[in-house]
Amino acid sequence: MAQMDTPIINPNVVLREEFDDWAVLFNPDTGDAEGINPVGVAVWKRMDGQRSLEEIVAEIYHSFADVPDAALDEISVFVDTLAEHGFVGYAVKENC
Amino acid sequence: MSVTRTDEADQAPLLVMRTPRTLDIEITARCNLRCRYCYFFNNTAVEYRDLPTDAWLTFFDELGSLGVMTVTLAGGEPFIREDLSTLLEGLVRNRMRFSLLSNGGLIDDAIASFIARTGRCGLVQISIDGSCAAVHDTCRGHGAFEGAIRGIRTLQHHGVPVGVRVTIHRRNVHDLNNITHLLLDELGLPSYSVNAAGYLGTCRMNADDVLLTLAERQYAMATLSRLSAQYEGRITATAGPLADVHMWRRMEEARADGAPAFSNGGRLTGCGCPNKKIAVRADGAIIPCTMLAHCALGHINQDSLATVWQQSAVMHQLRRRPSIPLSQFAECAACAYQPYCTGNCPGLAYTITGQIDHPSPDACLRRFIEEGGTIL
Repeated sequence: MAQMDTPIINPNVVLREEFDDWAVLFNPDTGDAEGINPVGVAVWKRMDGQRSLEEIVAEIYHSFADVPDAALDEISVFVDTLAEHGFVGYAVKENC
Repeated sequence: MSVTRTDEADQAPLLVMRTPRTLDIEITARCNLRCRYCYFFNNTAVEYRDLPTDAWLTFFDELGSLGVMTVTLAGGEPFIREDLSTLLEGLVRNRMRFSLLSNGGLIDDAIASFIARTGRCGLVQISIDGSCAAVHDTCRGHGAFEGAIRGIRTLQHHGVPVGVRVTIHRRNVHDLNNITHLLLDELGLPSYSVNAAGYLGTCRMNADDVLLTLAERQYAMATLSRLSAQYEGRITATAGPLADVHMWRRMEEARADGAPAFSNGGRLTGCGCPNKKIAVRADGAIIPCTMLAHCALGHINQDSLATVWQQSAVMHQLRRRPSIPLSQFAECAACAYQPYCTGNCPGLAYTITGQIDHPSPDACLRRFIEEGGTIL
């Protein structure tokens, strides 16, 4: 099986949307919690295993004003960090 | 004493989480023990009855939808519920972690193994009040010590995180050295927490026999302070003699040095719980805190928890408590410790004074000194 570039959230993780559109991600299996900003929340909600990272970033550019040019890199780092801590995985496809 | 709130910030909108992060749930009103200082029983404002399994499972579904992260199940004795594993499954299914507060006596291999397999248990806290049955059982009843130790060892055997709470009272205050040796050396626990019996529930009926005298409190502070240093922080406290001695030392040093007020000093800032947690009684009444059990704010499965959390006047009152200056209270007005004092627990303040918006007399350093106490 090969890992695809389509991040998918860990379904056990809880997204707690707090005030000011910030949120907390909580992994009940580990007890880890991570605060995320409104862009992070928007990214989180798009990680459905169907969209690629590039497609997610494109939607972020469309949804938020003043998104910096480095957004793809920053969001990639963000998603990789979440993956390292078990909040996110990557979809896989079976090799033929 | 009535309190006039003059702080402009008092009227500003409060920034509050949309839902609580944590709940304390008294999952049962039944217990296999009748401890002489139990805060839970003998509260005339409380109806002691249990809810059926389905009622709790429905409520846990609501908690899941609100993103609640952790739940602490207490009682009564939570392990007395025959449906405990079903209830824990309900928490796990709704993506929560849980802790349990127990006397340990009803824990067997089956439930300990089940808890371990969930992978969601933060802690099972067992009450240990003595180094031997002769001390532990004086306030808890015959056989309680044996059951508690068996419970700890069973949990350890199955790899469940175990904590211990020691509640200090007149019958065990001189056993602290032995208790510490038992818990940290013999049982190998990483740490234990300590508190003292408070003037709540059954304890109010046995206060003279249970609550520490000033000399005993002083002894407990000195002993725990020494043991805490000896065991390098493996004894913890958020209330009671050890917490008092740590806080009061800071306050005395600040007063002697003429230090600026603490950032949280001079106001009723002693409790931050209403900003992150709420509680539920065994009969399903939603309450601000288990120490304010008389204060029913609604009922589970009848009232929306999110609405209670966001709109309850009592929750707003508790959240605005930190804006109340200690200078408004006659007993605090001329106190040299006022800039460093937080007024401590509103639950204890209520049970002693009948008012939530009041400093807790039990935590008053000036009163402690005036009665003959000294800061070590």
